[in-house]
Amino acid sequence: MSAVVAEHDHHDEHHDHGPAKGLVRWLITTNHKDIGTLYLLFALAMFFVGGLMALVIRAELFEPGMQFVNPTFFNSMTTMHALVMVFGAVMPAFVGLANWQIPLMIGAPDMALPRLNNMSFWMLVAGVLLLASTLFMEGGAPACGWTFYPPLVLRDCGHALPFAVFSVHMLGVSSIMGAINIIATILNMRAPKMTLMKMPLFVWTWLITAFLLIAIMPVFAGAVTMLLTDKFFATSFFDAAGGGDPVLYQHIFWFFGHPEVYVMILPTFGVASTIIPVFARKPLFGYSSMVYATASIAFLSFIVWAHHMFTVGMPIAGELYFMYATMLIAIPTGVKVFNWTATMWKGAMTFETPMLFSICFVVLFTMGGLTGLMMSVAPTDFQYHDTYFIVAHFHYTLVPASVFILMAAGYFWLPKWTGNMYDERLARFHFWMSAISVNILFFPQHFLGLAGMPRRIPDYAVQFADWNMVSSIGAFIFGFSQLIFLYIVIKTINGGTGEKVTDEVWEDASKHSLEWTLPSPVPYHTWATPPEEVPSEHF
Amino acid sequence: MKKTKQLFACLSLMTLGLGTAQADYTLNLMKGVTKVSNDIYDLHMLILWICVFIGLGVFSVMFYSIYHHRKSKGHQAAQFHENTTVEIIWTIIPTLILIGMAIPATKTLIELDQVQDSDMSIKVTGHQWFWEYDYLDNGINLISRLDEASNKARQPNSGIDPRNVPHYLLNVDEPLHIPTKKKIRFLFTSKDVVHSWWVPDLGWKKDTNPGFINDAWTYVDKPGTYRGQCTELCGKDHGFMPIVVIAEDQADYDKWVNSKLNPVETATKANWTKDELIAEGAKVYEKNCSTCHLADGAGIKGTFPAITASKVVTGDIQAQTQLILNGKGMMPAFANLLKAEQLAQVITYTRNGLGNKVGDEIQPAAIAEMLPKKAGAKAEAKTEEKVVETKEKSVATLEKKPEKSAKKGAEKVEHSAEMAVTDLVAHGKSVYEKNCSSCHGADGAGMPGLFPALKASPVVTGDIKKQVELMTAGKGMMPGFGTTLSADDFAAVVTYTRNDLGNSVGDSLQPSAVKSLQSAKK
Repeated sequence: MSAVVAEHDHHDEHHDHGPAKGLVRWLITTNHKDIGTLYLLFALAMFFVGGLMALVIRAELFEPGMQFVNPTFFNSMTTMHALVMVFGAVMPAFVGLANWQIPLMIGAPDMALPRLNNMSFWMLVAGVLLLASTLFMEGGAPACGWTFYPPLVLRDCGHALPFAVFSVHMLGVSSIMGAINIIATILNMRAPKMTLMKMPLFVWTWLITAFLLIAIMPVFAGAVTMLLTDKFFATSFFDAAGGGDPVLYQHIFWFFGHPEVYVMILPTFGVASTIIPVFARKPLFGYSSMVYATASIAFLSFIVWAHHMFTVGMPIAGELYFMYATMLIAIPTGVKVFNWTATMWKGAMTFETPMLFSICFVVLFTMGGLTGLMMSVAPTDFQYHDTYFIVAHFHYTLVPASVFILMAAGYFWLPKWTGNMYDERLARFHFWMSAISVNILFFPQHFLGLAGMPRRIPDYAVQFADWNMVSSIGAFIFGFSQLIFLYIVIKTINGGTGEKVTDEVWEDASKHSLEWTLPSPVPYHTWATPPEEVPSEHF
Repeated sequence: MKKTKQLFACLSLMTLGLGTAQADYTLNLMKGVTKVSNDIYDLHMLILWICVFIGLGVFSVMFYSIYHHRKSKGHQAAQFHENTTVEIIWTIIPTLILIGMAIPATKTLIELDQVQDSDMSIKVTGHQWFWEYDYLDNGINLISRLDEASNKARQPNSGIDPRNVPHYLLNVDEPLHIPTKKKIRFLFTSKDVVHSWWVPDLGWKKDTNPGFINDAWTYVDKPGTYRGQCTELCGKDHGFMPIVVIAEDQADYDKWVNSKLNPVETATKANWTKDELIAEGAKVYEKNCSTCHLADGAGIKGTFPAITASKVVTGDIQAQTQLILNGKGMMPAFANLLKAEQLAQVITYTRNGLGNKVGDEIQPAAIAEMLPKKAGAKAEAKTEEKVVETKEKSVATLEKKPEKSAKKGAEKVEHSAEMAVTDLVAHGKSVYEKNCSSCHGADGAGMPGLFPALKASPVVTGDIKKQVELMTAGKGMMPGFGTTLSADDFAAVVTYTRNDLGNSVGDSLQPSAVKSLQSAKK
């Protein structure tokens, strides 16, 4: 240890510890904070790009009849909206948070593999740009749904297919490298006294998520590669005429796809479990059961995939098994919700913006979870499947859950990162606008789905007109409300309200996690010497 | 602040309650018209109420806490952080609730699976973008497309208010008729991509997978018209392939069956004038072609070729007809989808409308000759149905069967001894198209860098023995055809490549020579 310290002293003398000058800093940086920032800003940009696509969809659906776009472009929009939001916005945002927070929270000086870290980020950018380039190709972007089901994707995808496939490969490599980095960091670089069961829950959820990513991304890459060879090299993996089976693709895809949605929700759980105790001024309730629940959810996610395919024509034994297995997920998920509620119980709560978003997350995620329980029941799913009820369900688990928690995280940690306070009044306005409009946007979609409106259609029967209009109005309010968030973030980075924050930022936050014991703003290099003591309030 | 929060909480809870309380069509699942759909509805309501109950429970605790346990009220934070008893309770209670849900769900699922002992069977085939129905018991075949009024109104900026179109996007030109109080088995398959057949009133949806067959059943009590849609993204017009099921009592149904089996013969005209063909062709085009090639024939660049000034449409009329009859890539084969009259009309229309002025025409009689013989096709269809009946789900090859055997019948000419070069070339063409053209191209141009051209190829125009050897053993990416092709086919395709595709070597290979080669190998 003393040797390490001595070496650092030596470096400091030469002043080569700071960031590189100018824009080059962002290209070549290996600093976990810089890379975290890059990930977060990229994700924010993609959030607006994907959001714009969503608004094209909602504008077309504002009224029955075709007004703005043709059906193919509409399908491209639903496809690209999903891909951009999943692979460009939500996943990178959580990787960005992991980059910033994991070393700070476990007392490590940086990520274990800093150069790999830089490469993961730039491969992500390349992958997303490659995907976006298909928008400008003859025949347009993929219009076959983000699930890429064959034979549709092989027949109608035009020139975009190979680009989309290679883009998925790059995103996959980027995710896997990021996941390896996170696992290596967490397992090797914790402060001496930080045992696994003392790690903050955010670190725990990311550890589990990283294993999920390593397990599933190769499966997805394999599936799309088979599409590629089916299309260009005369194989017949998914073509019945050559002895293949189109349903095989769906099995492989959802073996990836189901854990994939948990990749987006598990870190969400982690952030919520970090924020709620701070503002309840109480330790997190049931820390170890939270860890076990997360692990069980991750495990279950691998054995329930075919519930996305109840109507595909499975044998009854298969349907029964996947129904029972899926219902089981409700148990660990319920434990989490109960634990958050119990954490709030008898606390001394204050309601700063991060807390508002987190509470809203618990409420609305619970609703998304409950509709999920409804559709786990195979016979009722025969009605719900591929309708707007499903669209409402997964948007409830993604927008007011993952996205709201990302915003909560932004408000929660931005003062720590920048040393500046955000504008609390404006932030609360942003919260209320978002929380209300997100419900105007997605709640009516439950009605639409139950009434019989299929998803992924550019035009609809007139009895669906009223709720679609309500939903579209909600979408535009929600979309424009996010500009407030953008404004607040930019303003906070540039000095915020002018009020300098304390090291703790939030009252007694240092009792909960290590980063609050560091100065604000966080120096470029932290934990050159690991902390002696770690918060132990979980015990 | 406090008040707003509470108000919001109340409001969101009320909306939740509202959604469940009203059994209105636009808010809740419909009950449907079958016992199964009613069971599903009851199951849905049961789980919905369980969810509402759980939600209300959790949220009321949470909001009680949010209201009372706040710092601004001077509440002191307790420091407890676990309680094993409570944690065990809230693991066990949900487990019991889940078991309670699983029991009725299992019952309904098993009921849905009982397709046996049906009174009749209907095969549903998904197409991009319409449905085809085959009544397996009486041979009725229906093509069911979006009705004309909806189709007009749904065109971009059509200026027609969908609200004035009856059953906008939920109406078809040819509805499916079923009898009430009969157990009907549905078989599902697809000609192209995965679709999904959903009529909410029947209580379920089922995917149609190309090359495979799914099944489901229904038993409708109440006569009525029940509407639904495709629910699996199947391309551009996924939103425009509705389903209409008319359930009627046996007498009405029988009447309908009779009218379908013995249609009033409209006097078929032998000779049409060009103008008549063009006028009718415009209608056929709008219904069958305009979805992809667009109403003005401009197509969509990169996906659907333009008709206007198209090389195919302004070229040889026979070639165009063949392409339309047999399909190509995404273009479906229209031989079985349209009648000879309609084909003649639309072909004549494309050549003389949509900006083209070729000036020629084709008569229905000429098309009828090119179509596969109807009687044979019907017999094939019958045997196909039999297999469906017995071998429910493993019918991957079924779809292709009638076509293939029909072709074989046509091609199997007894070759006793020497065959003329022209016969070999004629037969070789079809062998080539089936086995070689996907790599070497239909015109033998190959694909530079990947698949060598056959036109002026040194192998094809050189020593015939060398060519035979190469084709027997294969080379690199090229498979060996020595065992996969019959002697007849092998000889024919060799002769074809040497005397067509821009080559004119003039020699031929006889099947007998191939046979002796093959037996020598053995």
